[in-house]
Amino acid sequence: MVTDVGHAQRVIIGTRDEESSGGVLTEVGLVTWRSLVKLTRTPVLLFFSLFMPLIWLVMFSQTFGTVFSSATSGGLPGGPAATPLPYDYVAVLLPGITVMTAIQSASQSGFGMVADLESGFMDKFFVAPIRRSSVLAGKLLADGLRMAAQAGIILGIAAILTLFGWRIPFATGVMGAVLIMLLAAAFGVAAAAFGVAFSGLSNTVALRTKNTESTMMVSFSLTFPLLFLSTAMLPKALLPAWVQSFSTVNPVSYMADAARALILTGFDWAAIGNAFVAIAAFGIVLNGLAIMAFRAQGK
Amino acid sequence: MSAAVTLRPEAKKKAAMSRASKDSVIDVQHLVKVYGGRGQEEIKAVNDVSFSVGEGEFFGFLGPNGAGKTTVIRIITTLLAKTSGSVHVAGLDVERDGLDIRRMIGYTGQSIGVDGELTGRENLWLIGRLYHMPNSLVDERVEELLEVLQLKDAADRRAYTYSGGMRRRLDLGAGLVHHPRVLFLDEPTTGLDPQTRAAVWEYLRRLHREEKMTIFLTTQYMEEADQLCQRIAIIDLGKIVAEGSPAELKAAIGADIITVRITRDEAFEQSRNRALEIARTVSGVSRASIFDEGVSAYTADGGATLLEVLRRLDAEKVPVHQVALAHPTLDEVFLQHTGRQMRVEEVKPMSRSFGRRRR
Ligand SMILES: Nc1ncnc2c1ncn2[C@@H]1O[C@H](COP(=O)(O)OP(=O)(O)OP(=O)(O)O)[C@@H](O)[C@H]1O
Ligand SMILES: [Mg+2]
Repeated sequence: MVTDVGHAQRVIIGTRDEESSGGVLTEVGLVTWRSLVKLTRTPVLLFFSLFMPLIWLVMFSQTFGTVFSSATSGGLPGGPAATPLPYDYVAVLLPGITVMTAIQSASQSGFGMVADLESGFMDKFFVAPIRRSSVLAGKLLADGLRMAAQAGIILGIAAILTLFGWRIPFATGVMGAVLIMLLAAAFGVAAAAFGVAFSGLSNTVALRTKNTESTMMVSFSLTFPLLFLSTAMLPKALLPAWVQSFSTVNPVSYMADAARALILTGFDWAAIGNAFVAIAAFGIVLNGLAIMAFRAQGK
Repeated sequence: MSAAVTLRPEAKKKAAMSRASKDSVIDVQHLVKVYGGRGQEEIKAVNDVSFSVGEGEFFGFLGPNGAGKTTVIRIITTLLAKTSGSVHVAGLDVERDGLDIRRMIGYTGQSIGVDGELTGRENLWLIGRLYHMPNSLVDERVEELLEVLQLKDAADRRAYTYSGGMRRRLDLGAGLVHHPRVLFLDEPTTGLDPQTRAAVWEYLRRLHREEKMTIFLTTQYMEEADQLCQRIAIIDLGKIVAEGSPAELKAAIGADIITVRITRDEAFEQSRNRALEIARTVSGVSRASIFDEGVSAYTADGGATLLEVLRRLDAEKVPVHQVALAHPTLDEVFLQHTGRQMRVEEVKPMSRSFGRRRR
């Protein structure tokens, strides 16, 4: 098979030529492509990661909406106007729901990777002449796109609800919505990186599964405290004093404040900047913890 | 294909500097792998293994469950870190030059690593693109492989709908998309029916013959190693216990082998020991040893010696359950070197291996 040997040489030449940054982008893109294709072919997963947050959105805004309006009938405590607020509780709650969705998707991320490691599929990536960082970047990029899309869907549904008389100002329109999607994706990716690092770094199946399960558990039991001890569910002025103090060290608050400003008032660049700094810090601390745990447990 | 074609200039320099011998494509010296440690139990999976494989050679690693085959193959393919020793592929060091090594090797692992949500065609396409092959070339190559591996009809179905054999073949294809110079196969036919196995064997022979590919294969099947490999290393409990061509390994044992299986009763141990003593004293027996079911004796003239052995066993009332006379197979080679039979079911038809849980 002379032609085959010819192929082999062409392949090798191709490899040599493409050793530029374009090569890295291709690598990352392929890994992302594969994750996204997989995701679109398992729509059940997508549906359920949206289902819970949407239920929340509707239930909470219905149940607590009236309480919120009566509590704020004279305006927000410490706020300027003594007039009723021009928006419903659902507008306040919306950022919290996007964070919640991102956390839920992030906790699934580690599981996907463990499944790939166990099936032997990950070996295909690892034995190919690509950097392991490309594999990680590709996976997290796919996670980020997914979380952004989910935030977009939630905002879209909220926009539809305004047609039925729900008062959500959407002060910054589509641009603001895109920024919220970005924030949610960044927050989710920081959390997903933790899940991936924590479950993927171990080299035995049992440990990986154990770590993934504990990531799931931890994220599940931390979701509620993180949401409620932040400004994600209520504006800071309405929170009890001790929750107010805690909320200042809770990254969720910064994310929620920026998103809420985008919905209620306008582009608050200071809040948006703070949110990205908080997310970066959150990501660094979490992933540092994962690496420390990995070192302690040995290879 | 010479080494110079595949190596980049700086890689060539590294190759020249390394201690690896010139003509070997795979060179493993004093390889040790210890799993665990730091609070976990330590397992020495590979214990001072050395061997080398020449350019264009078909080399086999034969050993039972847990022998260390997968561990060795994963270290050579840069998927696993070694504990100590040196491992070179085409003169490149696995730890320093992983990326360069990965460019020229193909690997098909023991567990089938295809993505069930992607179609067969997409699985192959993805791998080809990961090797930075131009799109048109990937398409061409994927079609060719689908044809050869007889997956053309199922090419656009998602891989989770494939049968085990189809998945195996697809996985094999994934290791071949980029025409590797060295191909690593970890138990490539486990779980296949006899026909599919024969087809895979034929395809591997063709790759070796026509594309001059160097192939490193691990297997638990004596027959597979015998059929395919030019040279075999038998590995057991992390150590290489024998190495050579199938013919050499068999020749080292002797011309004929008499196998006497003793009836399993309370006195089994004594009967077996008695049978061993008898076998050793029969003239014409060059060597005798016990195995888990009885005794085997090596002799130059099987027919005559067999009669004598039986007469003596009968005279001493040793309860014989079965007698066989055979030319040596790799089974006997394994038995001779480890004192155990490799896997009883492998002597029987392959269909026994169906449904075996893969790891
Ligand atoms: N990740 C791991 N952690 C701890 N021990 C391991 C690990 N992987 C393998 N081992 C141990 O190392 C030894 C060799 O395993 P290996 O998988 O290399 O054997 P093998 O020859 O491929 O066996 P099989 O035919 O069953 O595939 C076994 O004792 C196994 O239990
Ligand atoms: Mg194995």
